[in-house]
Amino acid sequence: MSKPKLAYYLAGGCGGCDIAVVDLSETLIDVALAVDIVFWAPTVADAKYKDLEAMPDGSIDVGLISGNVRNSEHEHIAHVLRNKCKVLIAFGICATNGGIKGLVNLHTTEELLDKAYINTFSTDNPNKDLPQTSMVLDGKYELTLPSLMYARPLDQVVKVDYYIGGCPPHYEHVKKAFTALLSGQLPPPGSWITMGKAVCEVCGRNPVLQGKPKKFATTVKRTIDGAPTEDGCLLEEGYLCLGPVTQGDCGSKCPAANVPCRGCGGPIPGVKDYSLRAISAIASMLDNEELIEQIPDPVHLFYRYTLPSSFPYKRLKS
Amino acid sequence: MKKIEINPMTRLEGHGKITIFLDEQGNVDNAFMQVVEFMGYEKFLIGMPIEEVPRTVSTICGV
Ligand code: SF4
Ligand code: SF4
Ligand code: SF4
Repeated sequence: MSKPKLAYYLAGGCGGCDIAVVDLSETLIDVALAVDIVFWAPTVADAKYKDLEAMPDGSIDVGLISGNVRNSEHEHIAHVLRNKCKVLIAFGICATNGGIKGLVNLHTTEELLDKAYINTFSTDNPNKDLPQTSMVLDGKYELTLPSLMYARPLDQVVKVDYYIGGCPPHYEHVKKAFTALLSGQLPPPGSWITMGKAVCEVCGRNPVLQGKPKKFATTVKRTIDGAPTEDGCLLEEGYLCLGPVTQGDCGSKCPAANVPCRGCGGPIPGVKDYSLRAISAIASMLDNEELIEQIPDPVHLFYRYTLPSSFPYKRLKS
Repeated sequence: MKKIEINPMTRLEGHGKITIFLDEQGNVDNAFMQVVEFMGYEKFLIGMPIEEVPRTVSTICGV
């Protein structure tokens, strides 16, 4: 039997998801022996877009895309991979929900370019040059760039078969996901590949797991405000932790390191709009309404990883 | 003028491409390396509490 063919593309991401796969270390050797990697660009293999475009439609068994769709090149390759792959997976929170890089949607392209290319004190750009999608240099060199778009999660561009959260997905979770993939033990199409538990459910700081009662938070703290206790719930202590609504496939890594969960694992099963659910979860755990006023910068907290996939945002754009 | 595009450049995050222009004899006349991506952290970080910035900007490049 021929080996299943695998493709991997990094769109508008950071390469951290690629590294999470490489972090499989010895297991990666087993995976690499069990599959035929036909494309992995731009980070790992020497593969070019034209080689991918030349492959027959439906000829690749599994495609993974990390990163969001932020420019015309990402959009084009997402469509190409959808045509070539039988199963397409949104890999990592940029691809599933937009990710941190989806925060670009807070601003117009003009505002973003203006800040980066003109109005920073370290920038020396007297002609106010900005990137152009096409230009002819010295009257003879025709150069092009992809056009910028607002950031979208993969499923706003093509049909997605499976979702894997994390920024990046923890390599133990990646291992489980690859094992499920290779053994064909997958949930129904359209599902998240997850153990289905929230960060709280696997958190050593969870009072309920320690047989203690749950308490409301009576203050709101920034992580620079003192230090948390060794084993108490961060949220109870006022450090706004999004563990209650976030998938815990990381094994609760941040609370274990004394910092609150910021939600990179993606929404727990059944939640359609992560940010709205996070707002209501935190609000319900505060002792009184006045505390809401003290939440610093709610947008970057509740929408940090999920702005492009949130309902109000989608409505604004449509 | 003949144009050769190498896209994407390999083992790089931030996506780059190389465009090579050849003259009539087939020799390299000029070559360009372009970074084709733009992110925007300079702008969208504004307003974020400073202690949240390190764990956020680690996603500029995760390689
Ligand atoms: S999900 Fe995180 S690690 Fe993965 S590409 Fe996006 S920013 Fe990088
Ligand atoms: S809120 Fe945070 S610290 Fe508290 S139990 Fe949940 S994950 Fe742990
Ligand atoms: S604790 Fe939360 S923010 Fe930290 S790795 Fe896990 S899901 Fe991501």
